[in-house]
Amino acid sequence: MTVLTILLLACITFGTRYLFLEGRLPVRLGSNIKLFLSYSGPAVLTAITMPILFVHKHQLDTAVSNPYLWGALAAIAAAYKTANIYWTVGLGILAFTAASYLNL
Amino acid sequence: MINLNKGIRVSVRKGVVDMLPLSLAVLPWGILFGSIAVQRGFSWLEAQMFSAIIFGGAVQIVTVELIADNASLVTVLFTAFVISSRHFLYGLSLREKLSPQPLRWRLGLGFLLTDELFALSGHRRAYQGKLRLIYGLAAGGSFYLAWNLWTFIGIVAGASLPDLTDLGLDFAIAATFIALVVPEIKTLATLAAVITAAIFSLVFSLWELELGLVFAALLAMAAGFTVQQLRRPA
Repeated sequence: MTVLTILLLACITFGTRYLFLEGRLPVRLGSNIKLFLSYSGPAVLTAITMPILFVHKHQLDTAVSNPYLWGALAAIAAAYKTANIYWTVGLGILAFTAASYLNL
Repeated sequence: MINLNKGIRVSVRKGVVDMLPLSLAVLPWGILFGSIAVQRGFSWLEAQMFSAIIFGGAVQIVTVELIADNASLVTVLFTAFVISSRHFLYGLSLREKLSPQPLRWRLGLGFLLTDELFALSGHRRAYQGKLRLIYGLAAGGSFYLAWNLWTFIGIVAGASLPDLTDLGLDFAIAATFIALVVPEIKTLATLAAVITAAIFSLVFSLWELELGLVFAALLAMAAGFTVQQLRRPA
């Protein structure tokens, strides 16, 4: 019974992922929809990132004692200057770790 | 031939390395999932099956609790569908690039299309040509292996490990996404989309809205679209 539920859940995650990748699905994307969709990357990634940074234990946390704030500022600066994923992640984590220790 | 093999090796390595911060960042969640599943009475095999075939962090953690609490099958499936609905957005966005590809690539990459793989799919020429397909497969495949390994560790050792989810490893996800978004902000329209997403994702998250991510993203895309239309010379 549990295995059947797991299989059904797998159909849902795979189905939602695969559906629009199927060329035979009769969906044609007009130029307006394509333009709209062109913002999906920055939109989705920002929407995932912000709550990680500023919502902790169901509360808004924008205090200077929040290490995620300092890590994010360093990462934004590094991304702006270098446009390099490794530098951005490295410097971001460095600032985040430093801020975490300083606040202990 | 030698050059092609070298190209494949480089693509595989780049895919794995680009995904690495994300693969490591979900370690606490994979362990948490494996540990919850076993504690809530699922067998080792069932717990591993969740990660092996469902392969979706939020869906797994929520549904494993629902099933253990004897929620109805309809509730379990509907909840999973709501959490998974953001995948429609990913599929639509990648439709132009992936739908002309051969079936086995669509099936493989479709199966692996998590938030994390979508994050690495933003390049203008993503999935165009064999090497870029291999890059995606290596990125998505390495994330799959990592998620299943973390689950396995959680199943075997979960009860004896401390809760790692408040260690701050999720900052690596945030930093990676910042690295992907900031260089993309080249127009006022994209800036409008990012600011809109930032504000509404926080509001909806505080409201604990189940579809908050999808709504925030749609509003942000509408903002970007509108600014672009307004600035277009008539």
